[in-house]
Amino acid sequence: MFFPISDVIVSPLLLAGIGFLVGILGGFFGVGGGFIAGPMMFWSGVPMNFVIGTDLAHMTGKSIVAAKRHRALGHVDIKLGSFMVVGTIIGVEIGARIIEALEASGNIEIVIGSIYVVILLIISAFTFWESLRALRMIRTDQLDVKDAIGFQGIARRIQGLRIPPMVSFPDSGIASISLWTVIGVGFITGLLAGALGVGGGFIRMPLLVYVVGIPTHVAVGTDLFEIMFSSGFGTLTHALKGNVDILMALVMHTGAAIGAQIGAVSTRFFVGPRIRLLFSILPLIGAIMVMIRLLGGGIEGF
Amino acid sequence: MKNPSVRKLVINFAIELVVYGILVLGYFLLVLRYLNSILTELYENNMVVYAFLGLGLVVAQGIVLEYVTSFIITKLRLERLD
Repeated sequence: MFFPISDVIVSPLLLAGIGFLVGILGGFFGVGGGFIAGPMMFWSGVPMNFVIGTDLAHMTGKSIVAAKRHRALGHVDIKLGSFMVVGTIIGVEIGARIIEALEASGNIEIVIGSIYVVILLIISAFTFWESLRALRMIRTDQLDVKDAIGFQGIARRIQGLRIPPMVSFPDSGIASISLWTVIGVGFITGLLAGALGVGGGFIRMPLLVYVVGIPTHVAVGTDLFEIMFSSGFGTLTHALKGNVDILMALVMHTGAAIGAQIGAVSTRFFVGPRIRLLFSILPLIGAIMVMIRLLGGGIEGF
Repeated sequence: MKNPSVRKLVINFAIELVVYGILVLGYFLLVLRYLNSILTELYENNMVVYAFLGLGLVVAQGIVLEYVTSFIITKLRLERLD
């Protein structure tokens, strides 16, 4: 089917299928799934600027459903999420302006594609290594499987930074942390959201767990809460810059809505480090797909 | 599947998914049929309206689909275990 806004021919069933897959990931891992949806859209022939804007748009609708489910489960720290939104929105806007400049210079596909590959490979390797380390800690030290974090030392040091104003997040078990740390996490993930078209969950969730030091299940829900705002604002600013194919986003979201149902319920059967170990494979798949398209492949080659 | 609560969860969930899937498929076809030309015209002529309408559409779709889910659960008496 021809999508006139993004000027590309792509099967709507393929788009709904991508949405379905990332819907499962969103509900299950607490991430928007943009880090895998973006590479899949790029691989299927969608121009990079539309990949970024449309990916954010489809996540907006999906994250509302997933966040609501996780909130019902008590996995959302509203106070923490609300503070992070400030940094996120600034980051998203700067990221969107970077994309506008890259689009104008004609280098968007190679630059953003390469950044995608590097970030996805780093995240995959780091999460895999850390999860194995945490699982070993559970076996040897009898730690609670929900709370085992391989980098508790980093979280303690970050919480020890006394840059005022200090805030507390009782729902996440944090007695005191600098507000700038929280806003900084929001800014970094917002920048990635605006520039890569992702919700930022694949970097926000590790930052929330390893740097801020909140439990994995709260990180999952709070991340989805945050994605509602980062993807919503990202959709608006990218749409104003002509980077969003709403029809494509709506089609993807129909698949995602079904997938999110499966993902959210699946979290009942997996906890802590095991979630993160599974999570580590997904960025690797995304990196391979982007590399295929950058090397001239993609769906046309199949 | 020995655990009765897990079995109940899976059965309820499967019914919900089938009903939900049929409704979403119908909506999917409606979107493709009617929205294509309207959105393309707005994209070419009024980017501000297109941006806000686009955001409104994806948010509305998210809310409506969640409402449909709750409606199905209530009407079919599918008790949620999560």
